Amino acid sequence: MPVNPPAVQVTDLVVRYGDTVALSPSSFIVPRGAVTALIGPNGSGKSTLLGAIAGLVTPTAGTIDILPGDGRPRRVSLVLQSTKVADALPVTVAEVVTMARYATTGAYRRLGAADRAAVTAAIDRMGIGDLASRHLSELSGGQRQRVFVAQGLAEEHDLLLLDEPMTGLDMVSMKAIDDVIHAEQQAGRTVVITTHDLAEAHVADHVVLLAKRVVASGPARSVLTAEHLLEAYGSGLVHAVGERMFVDDPAHRHPPDVHTHRERSLPDTAD
Amino acid sequence: MTWLVEPFQLGLQQRALLGASLAAIALAVVGTWVVIRGMTFLGDALVHGVVPGIALALLLGFDPLLGAVGAALVMLGGISLVHRQTAFSEDTGIGLLFVGMLGLGVILISRSAGFSGELTAVLFGDALGISGGDLVVLVIIVAVAIAVSLVGYRHFLVLAFNEQKARLLGLRPAAAHVVLLGLITMVIVGSFRTVGTLLVFGLLVGPPATAALLVRRVPAMMATATAIGVLSVVVGLVVSYHADTSGSATMAVVPVALFFVVLAGRSVAGRGSSSPRR
Repeated sequence: MPVNPPAVQVTDLVVRYGDTVALSPSSFIVPRGAVTALIGPNGSGKSTLLGAIAGLVTPTAGTIDILPGDGRPRRVSLVLQSTKVADALPVTVAEVVTMARYATTGAYRRLGAADRAAVTAAIDRMGIGDLASRHLSELSGGQRQRVFVAQGLAEEHDLLLLDEPMTGLDMVSMKAIDDVIHAEQQAGRTVVITTHDLAEAHVADHVVLLAKRVVASGPARSVLTAEHLLEAYGSGLVHAVGERMFVDDPAHRHPPDVHTHRERSLPDTAD
Repeated sequence: MTWLVEPFQLGLQQRALLGASLAAIALAVVGTWVVIRGMTFLGDALVHGVVPGIALALLLGFDPLLGAVGAALVMLGGISLVHRQTAFSEDTGIGLLFVGMLGLGVILISRSAGFSGELTAVLFGDALGISGGDLVVLVIIVAVAIAVSLVGYRHFLVLAFNEQKARLLGLRPAAAHVVLLGLITMVIVGSFRTVGTLLVFGLLVGPPATAALLVRRVPAMMATATAIGVLSVVVGLVVSYHADTSGSATMAVVPVALFFVVLAGRSVAGRGSSSPRR
């Protein structure tokens, strides 16, 4: 159980798009200085919830409190799914990462030495220095995702939100992003990721299982149980093989040529 | 060199060169945002959608500029209405308004044969008819297009990158979008006397699209597009003088032809060296 006070307190949150309910009343916390995974089937409200925490999605009801840390407001940085970005844009990797600093400088102030240092540091951490003058259209999916994570890091956040950061990546990019997520957590910052991968959720410090509402939240072992998974995914998608649980979610199946799903044996979750 | 100087000896020819060049600069600067934001269909629809406003102005005897602005506002309002009230994507609304306004324009024209000469000038441009007053208006339009592009640079750039990211970074993407629509309307309406509403699109999209093949950053794209636009005007006017073709049509065809020449050149060059794409 997390002993720190929460970084985010979500209370009775409801999100509706017109007549469609994206999220029924949900309450949970995001613990401070930990990695939290939001997991659930396609359309379960993962991205909606992440957007709501970031301030992109307006709640229909309920509250999201981003609790202040060290007596100052927390800065929230959201890394969007890379597929949502126009890749034909004539901007270089360095320019994309530099955009992050507009959160600090605004639309008109010149970039200072601190801004340039933050950009360089983020580029170095993601190992994309040799790509700095490339265009997004010249990068692989994994390289693009590293650029967007670097952009998130360059915002110098307290709370880093990543929407499906590992989906369909090559191993180098996956490791780079995985390393950064854990380095952020080691440095005491709070990370929230969405994922469809049980193995990924299992290594997180805290898990929120979603099915258009919070099915369960807490440490992975108490959340990713057969009972909860069946409730979230339905019996057609959850399979138990011996003591292992598998989720066969067709909406999230990788195309064969980019299959990078990490095979990992899960601890006994059938209790 | 006389073949190059000869088409520009008369005052009206020099005004045509100056006016069309100014229009090309404004169109290239704003067209760069149109191309990178993926608004070419909207731009095309706007260009044709102003026709009924101009026709109505000529019919009722008020300034065609006002008619064009009014028609553009009706178009943008209609597109926004369809987008907000239905589940259709924006391009459905653009398509409906595009064909509806163009049809309305043709109906107005067909009902009033009396002003066909003047209307031809509106549709296809009359570069040789540019007055000193028109030049002043074009200078103002160029200044506004450049100033707004500089001031709004970060807003427009991040909006083109991703609207949500722009909001997250505290920029104003919704306002930036409206300003871009205003810029597009301004350059289209301000240029139709020179190039004509039907062909202004060639100078709006052709030079920036060609520039995007040649350079790697937005400011360089704008500068290159401006150069290509002005070059297209000069080549268009020279060719039209010597070959006795329509000046505005020739000006509009040059940047599009140039685009395919550059594209062909690039793929020939690409075959010789390894592509940077992975």
